[in-house]
Amino acid sequence: MTRLGGAVRSFTLYALALVAVATLAVTLAPRAAGSAARVARLESLVRCPSCADLSVAQSDATSAIAVRHEIAADVARGLSDTEILTSLEAAYGTSILLSPPTSGLGALLWIGPLLVGLAVVAGAIRVARRR
Amino acid sequence: MRRSVALSSIAVLVVVAALTLFLATRHPVTGATEAPSPLLGRLAPALAGRELSGGRFDLAAERGHVVVVNFWASWCGPCRVEAPDLSSAAWQMRRRGVVVVGVVFNDTVAAARAFARYYGSLYPSVVDPGGVIANRYGVTSPPTTFVITPSGRVAATLLGPVSTAQLEAVVAKVAS
Amino acid sequence: MTLTWLGRAFVYLGALGALGGVVDLSRALVTRRPAHARWFVVAALVGVVGAVAVMEYALITHDFALAYVAENNATFTPLLYSITGLWSALEGSLLLWVLIQFAVLGGVVYYYRRQRDDDVVRWATLVLFSVGAFFALVLAGPADPFLPNPAVVHQGAGPNALLQDNPLVAVHPPLLYLGFVGFSVPFAFAIAMLATGRVHERWPLEQRRWTVIAWGSLSLGIVLGAWWSYQVLGWGGFWGWDPVENAALLPWLTATAYIHSVIVQDRRGLFRVWNLSLAVATFALTILGTFFTRSGVLVSVHAFSSSTLGPILITFFFAVVLLGGGLLAWRGDRLRAPVGVDHPLSREGLFVANNVLFVGFALVVLLGTVFPLLYQAVNGAAVTVGSPYFVTVAAPLGVVLLALMALAPLVGWRHADARVLWSRIRVSAWVALGSVLALVLFRVRRPTELVAVFLAVNAAGAAVRTLRGSLVSALRRHEARGWWRAPSTAGMVVHLGVVVLALGIVTSSTFVQRDEVTLATGQSTLVDGQLVSFRGFRHVNSALESATSLRVAVDGHALYPAVTTFHGTNGQTVGTPAIDSNLLRDVYVTFDAVGGTGSASGAQVSSGLPAGSVVLGVTVEPLLAWLWVGGLVIALGSALTLARRRVGEAP
Repeated sequence: MTRLGGAVRSFTLYALALVAVATLAVTLAPRAAGSAARVARLESLVRCPSCADLSVAQSDATSAIAVRHEIAADVARGLSDTEILTSLEAAYGTSILLSPPTSGLGALLWIGPLLVGLAVVAGAIRVARRR
Repeated sequence: MRRSVALSSIAVLVVVAALTLFLATRHPVTGATEAPSPLLGRLAPALAGRELSGGRFDLAAERGHVVVVNFWASWCGPCRVEAPDLSSAAWQMRRRGVVVVGVVFNDTVAAARAFARYYGSLYPSVVDPGGVIANRYGVTSPPTTFVITPSGRVAATLLGPVSTAQLEAVVAKVAS
Repeated sequence: MTLTWLGRAFVYLGALGALGGVVDLSRALVTRRPAHARWFVVAALVGVVGAVAVMEYALITHDFALAYVAENNATFTPLLYSITGLWSALEGSLLLWVLIQFAVLGGVVYYYRRQRDDDVVRWATLVLFSVGAFFALVLAGPADPFLPNPAVVHQGAGPNALLQDNPLVAVHPPLLYLGFVGFSVPFAFAIAMLATGRVHERWPLEQRRWTVIAWGSLSLGIVLGAWWSYQVLGWGGFWGWDPVENAALLPWLTATAYIHSVIVQDRRGLFRVWNLSLAVATFALTILGTFFTRSGVLVSVHAFSSSTLGPILITFFFAVVLLGGGLLAWRGDRLRAPVGVDHPLSREGLFVANNVLFVGFALVVLLGTVFPLLYQAVNGAAVTVGSPYFVTVAAPLGVVLLALMALAPLVGWRHADARVLWSRIRVSAWVALGSVLALVLFRVRRPTELVAVFLAVNAAGAAVRTLRGSLVSALRRHEARGWWRAPSTAGMVVHLGVVVLALGIVTSSTFVQRDEVTLATGQSTLVDGQLVSFRGFRHVNSALESATSLRVAVDGHALYPAVTTFHGTNGQTVGTPAIDSNLLRDVYVTFDAVGGTGSASGAQVSSGLPAGSVVLGVTVEPLLAWLWVGGLVIALGSALTLARRRVGEAP
């Protein structure tokens, strides 16, 4: 009994330490802020026009650099994220964004993984009940 | 006896059959296709710059003419395919007042000049340092061709290599 | 003309050999008389080896009488890239595929030569002959590599610039194909087991060994492909979630699920039917991937140019699924295991979770890959499904998989006691927490990195504990030298490789620093703590290429990022990055532009800069080299499976 009690106690101690370290890590986590972070985020969402599947942040193709300049200029002019992405869509079409629109058919893309997640949970419950 | 394996196998087979049918009816992209560009019907973005041969080109000065704008690069395979056709189209349509202009896309001046010389281009090509013009036109991959009306609006966008006949048909439709 | 006819004759011989094998084995199965599989294998192998020899001869001697050689070779192409020219375009790469397919067929026939009259082996051989015959017929008809060249060619076009830029092109495609083709073996045996109804025998475990070898080749092939694109493509990344990359990932995911769940069949007799469906799915996804790569319907940097093969390949894909799915629907329910999983917190319960995750992820990747086509068909507009989508889905999945790797090896079969489990995890859990605390104190505070380190240390701890367990028990039996033959060793070594790989991926992508710097000759600058200096230009001119490279120093190491123009009509200008790599960080330098008004260097000219100065792209990625180390460890672990002792087998 003492050994089992020891296991519980050592696990409780560990759980407390885990919570402490997690709290410390969360409070000290860097906060990305400012227009540089915004530009970086936008650049990672926009496809490099002349590459197949790189973002403009990743590519050094001329077309990617041109788009990066435009994004930086638009952020400096005070446009919102949506306005900037919409203006790019107006020139290039929807395919300039690395993710399709979430409305309409695009929702299917995100519902798929959710269904898989639900299937996992449902399967686990079924197995747990069967015993 | 439980039938779950049979039922799920049949369900999977139905889904896969639908997927197969869908994929089997997709066609690979060959030749130029008219694409629904967001620019259609709108005023063509500004296009001005130095030509490979040294002169200056300005789209604004070409009002009153149908203008064919072709984005190309020396490294692009389909551009090699369409280069002779573009030249012959430019030559045949010049008497009808149609202007053909190339824009060099994401390429070095030296390579572009060699390309134009090799294919004996019969139309001027504008260099586009920094890809500013391509960005305004939303060009993603060469060759991309825009047809612009005499009033300066984008009337058609063609993705992929164009043929002389196809270009003449589109221009005739725009001019009428 | 001689080469054309000779090559075609060999291809026909190969196709006839495979077709003959199909006829012979069908006859043997119907009449219950012995088959003569090996003679047909010999004919098929002679045919395909002869065809490859003809093609290689033409490539090495630059014989432009063949259209394929004229398009993919030039008089000045070096020997290595002449040889690899076999797989630089569609027809030749299919020839390589058929070569490997017949070699695998020959391996199976040889390996099971003593059981050749067993019905399972006959059925499996029949399936393998059919698959081989299909690809050989494709080669004999719609994808003829030996088309004569009508025009007179003096120099040839040469391979695509990116295919003659790095020697990895010699190993990456063959390894991938070995993986893909290898999956036809478990598929063939799955069909055989379904056709004979003998799923409860030792066959599935035999198949695991074949599958692990194929899986190991595919894994190494994928990692080397990532390494290759990292060294060649110039954006400092290694994986773009491109349709063709996804096509290789799909069968890899289901094969990974299969390798795990067969263990449960081994130990507990469960999942019989499920394992068969995984084997069928893996091979079907291989064919689907071939369709994606060779039909031209998806836009990809790797895709071969569009061809007429699309309808043929998709039909074959459906035939594979119909055969497997039909047999499963017909007999699946009768072949099921009579019992199920007892308790979710047990080894088999966690294997279920592993399987659901891998298969689920495969479905998601498939959805993301096909989605642009679907959207185009419904809405008529083009969309991109790129890395933001796949990363969003893959990240939580990776977290759960690492957690499973930390738990599953320590959990007992049937039912686990939480207290026993904790006593086994405790040490690595504390070490993991300590590592995280140390990182936080040393100012590494990105949550993704901390979570990854925490899970990775736990997963590595579980693997090390298991390895130590088998070493201790081997010592007790005075068998220390054979300890690595223990059933769990290969798997745990692979797990360690995955841990190293995962740390490399997470750290390099979390802390990547990308900068563009403009330097004049002799100038230096600091990028993310790395001293980068530009020392001057260097021009290289050879028969193959003309290049302008820059003399750059990173921390005192000389690097030569270049812009290279390849000669020949396919001659393209490509940037060649230079990399200073060690186990701690990679510094990745590209030559992006040169100042001035124009030069013959081939580089982008930036007129805003003074002549003689250059723009360098500098990317610093910590722990990136861990990816390649992890990949090598995974391959080593897979190879160890050859020495693996079966459960219950005497040591």
